[in-house]
Amino acid sequence: MGRTLPSITQVFLQEQESFARFRRALRRSDQLALDDLFAAAHQHLAAAAYAAHALPFEVFLLAMLLEEHKEVLRLRRLVEDPQPTADG
Amino acid sequence: MAEHTGWLLDVYTHPQDGLIVWLLDDDGTRRRLRQPFPVTFYAAGAPEHLRALWRFLKEQPLAVKLSRTERRDLFSPESFPLLAVRVEDPAVQPRLFNRAAAAFPELTYYNADIPISLRYAAIYGTFPLARCAVVTGVGDTIHSLTCLNSPWELDPPTPPLRILALEPDVDPSHACPSHLHISDRHYSYRLALDPARPLLVNLNAILQRHDPDLLLTSWGDTWLLPHLLELSQQHKIPLALNRETGLGFAHRKERSYFTYGQIIYRGQQIHTFGRWHIDGHNAMLFHDYGMEGIFELARVSSLPVQTVARVSPGSGISAMQMLTALRQGILIPWHKQQSERPKTALELMHADQGGLVYQPIIGLHQHVAEIDFISMYPSVMVRFNISPETVHPTAPSGESGSTVELIPELALYVEQASPGLVPQTLAPLLQKRLALKARMAELPSWHPRRSSYKAYASAHKWLLVTCFGYLGYKNARFGRIEAHEAVTAFGREALLRAKEAAEDLGFTVLHMYVDGLWVKQDGLSRPPDFQPLLDEIAACTGLPIALEGIYRWVAFLPSRQDERVPVANRYFGAFQDGSLKIRGIEIRRRDTPLFIAETQQQMLACLAQAQHVGELEKYLPQVFSLLRRVLSDLRAGKIPLPHLLVSQKLSRTLPEYRSPSPAARAAAQLQSVEKILKPGQCVRFIYTLGDPGVHAWDSAEPPVPTSVDVRRYTTLLVRAASTVLQPLGISETALRDRLFDNVVAVPNLWSARLPQESTPGLCYNTV
Repeated sequence: MGRTLPSITQVFLQEQESFARFRRALRRSDQLALDDLFAAAHQHLAAAAYAAHALPFEVFLLAMLLEEHKEVLRLRRLVEDPQPTADG
Repeated sequence: MAEHTGWLLDVYTHPQDGLIVWLLDDDGTRRRLRQPFPVTFYAAGAPEHLRALWRFLKEQPLAVKLSRTERRDLFSPESFPLLAVRVEDPAVQPRLFNRAAAAFPELTYYNADIPISLRYAAIYGTFPLARCAVVTGVGDTIHSLTCLNSPWELDPPTPPLRILALEPDVDPSHACPSHLHISDRHYSYRLALDPARPLLVNLNAILQRHDPDLLLTSWGDTWLLPHLLELSQQHKIPLALNRETGLGFAHRKERSYFTYGQIIYRGQQIHTFGRWHIDGHNAMLFHDYGMEGIFELARVSSLPVQTVARVSPGSGISAMQMLTALRQGILIPWHKQQSERPKTALELMHADQGGLVYQPIIGLHQHVAEIDFISMYPSVMVRFNISPETVHPTAPSGESGSTVELIPELALYVEQASPGLVPQTLAPLLQKRLALKARMAELPSWHPRRSSYKAYASAHKWLLVTCFGYLGYKNARFGRIEAHEAVTAFGREALLRAKEAAEDLGFTVLHMYVDGLWVKQDGLSRPPDFQPLLDEIAACTGLPIALEGIYRWVAFLPSRQDERVPVANRYFGAFQDGSLKIRGIEIRRRDTPLFIAETQQQMLACLAQAQHVGELEKYLPQVFSLLRRVLSDLRAGKIPLPHLLVSQKLSRTLPEYRSPSPAARAAAQLQSVEKILKPGQCVRFIYTLGDPGVHAWDSAEPPVPTSVDVRRYTTLLVRAASTVLQPLGISETALRDRLFDNVVAVPNLWSARLPQESTPGLCYNTV
């Protein structure tokens, strides 16, 4: 589409692809966890694009960390203030 | 001397008679008027080259007037010296200019290739279908012309045009037509295409009797007119398709080109003189805005009706910019002269960005407001005065802070002191669009003007959409990549300010997409609840914004490949008025068979009745019975074959396909019967059993109904249904289990899982 630079999605996919050998050597259960991390980073592509960081993988790592921290906060709330939920 | 008032139909040049103006007189006469209309082009360069050009032009056997003058172009604040070449006969100007440019390529030329209708519009303020008062003298020569209205009127008067529709009885790419249907408002005729002599004689008689202003054809460019003209030559019977006698037809060749990630095919074109020819199948966006939209495009762009019907809206914007330049005496370069200034890699990373596209929060949401900036990019250009000549890498000297706007992320300065060419061109169009929106909001849904307004709005929308691309287009005369980048930078800033305003007011932002955002807040569900947010966004961005609507419920869908990953433009939802908004799912795709698109539409219409998320479940039984009915129709062969057609675009020529797609295989079948398709053209086919798995719809033989690949269509249908049901927690597997448990008498668990395997020998019959 007449772009000079690859789009953030293309950059993301290239980065993910560059870990293909790493992923292949992981155990299946670890592979799935790794996929979760990349899916987490994928949610913040717009912010990563806007950041226009010279090393985009740093931003993807931070995005993974961000989602991890959200999960920690959610679990902490559950532990500290356990609310009865619909599924018990 | 005679005075006439009427509608301006067309302006063009004639090899002997100079400029011809067609006027639809209020007394019903179609007047062919002539007018002396000298045109001027300019050359700039080294004085010795200009002197040589002067001598060269003096030796030409044509009436030219040469003089030295000074003018300015868009990028130079000061005038510079030029050679002005005034050609008395506008018909010879293009030829003379081409000779001069070939002999003196080192010179820079201006105003050299301006369409004659634009030159005329620049002087007289005219546009196609303008109301004009004309004073004529001997030989129907125009002495004076006054334009009585403006293209910016919301309710332009309707001209009493005579329209004759010509249509072959079948699509010529599908089968060989045998008859020609001709109709106007009162009469209709059916002529046999063979034998040719009576066809030509009768057609001429009809043309003379009705003397139409517009020939509205189906496949007229690509088949009908070339066919008729060939017959006319063979039988030596001239066809009166032109109103202008003694002139031929203007042909434009077919072509395929690549733009915005897809390949486009444009068929050949045949333009007539003295009346218009428009081929509904070869008119750009005809299905989108129809004749009213085409007339509106012609009015606002001042390009001839036959041209705007076929060109991309980009050419319309380009014409409007040229007109602004002509009226202000700014030179229009023959070729674009600006190149991109060098940037560092980091600068490029900041500058080469588009709009912000977020990943939405996947799932079903209720009482969601969609808020859109109205024509965001054109509004940005007008609001911040972005134009190729106003954007600078350094602060213009002598400008104070208040007259310059800085874009920090791009380190660009935008001059604010005087309005730029692009904002001046766009401002009236934007105003008209906003006024139309306001007018439409007031009109009840049954009002007859609504359809016209919709067509106008649609035409404006395309012009406004393309004006942004043209700012960065490498061949646009008034394009400059820095201006294009400045627009997206302001756009991103505006969207982020809108997000911040929404969050400050306690809203959750579910999604953002370039110029729109989707927000919700517990307890808010009526339009007035969102007004404070609209006001705040308008205040902090300075751009017009509107509430697109409030969804009773909306579903943002995940990617097909990975359901954890959201996709920006794949969603559907029901507004509070019950209307649906659907993006990125099967129903919107061209290659979805009609029966699947219809089923998906019916499923969504059924779910749209739910007032909120909690009510959706209530409508599921209806949805399932609909699906079962369609599935059973499919198996029983009750779905008409045309509803099974898949239409796909060829992306390359056949030898270029390494592993042929179904579309390529279908195109190969057509090629074997000498129907050659070009890249960008669509091929229609049906999935069939066995090899090659497809049957091209336009091949010589009709498909055998029993060969339809029912299993494949079942898979496609279930997949489309699952797209709709997935947000309600019904996976594709669960859907299959639920559907096929009830459809097929299942002898064991295995066949319940694979229901298609248990129904061999399906019989498909046409209805």
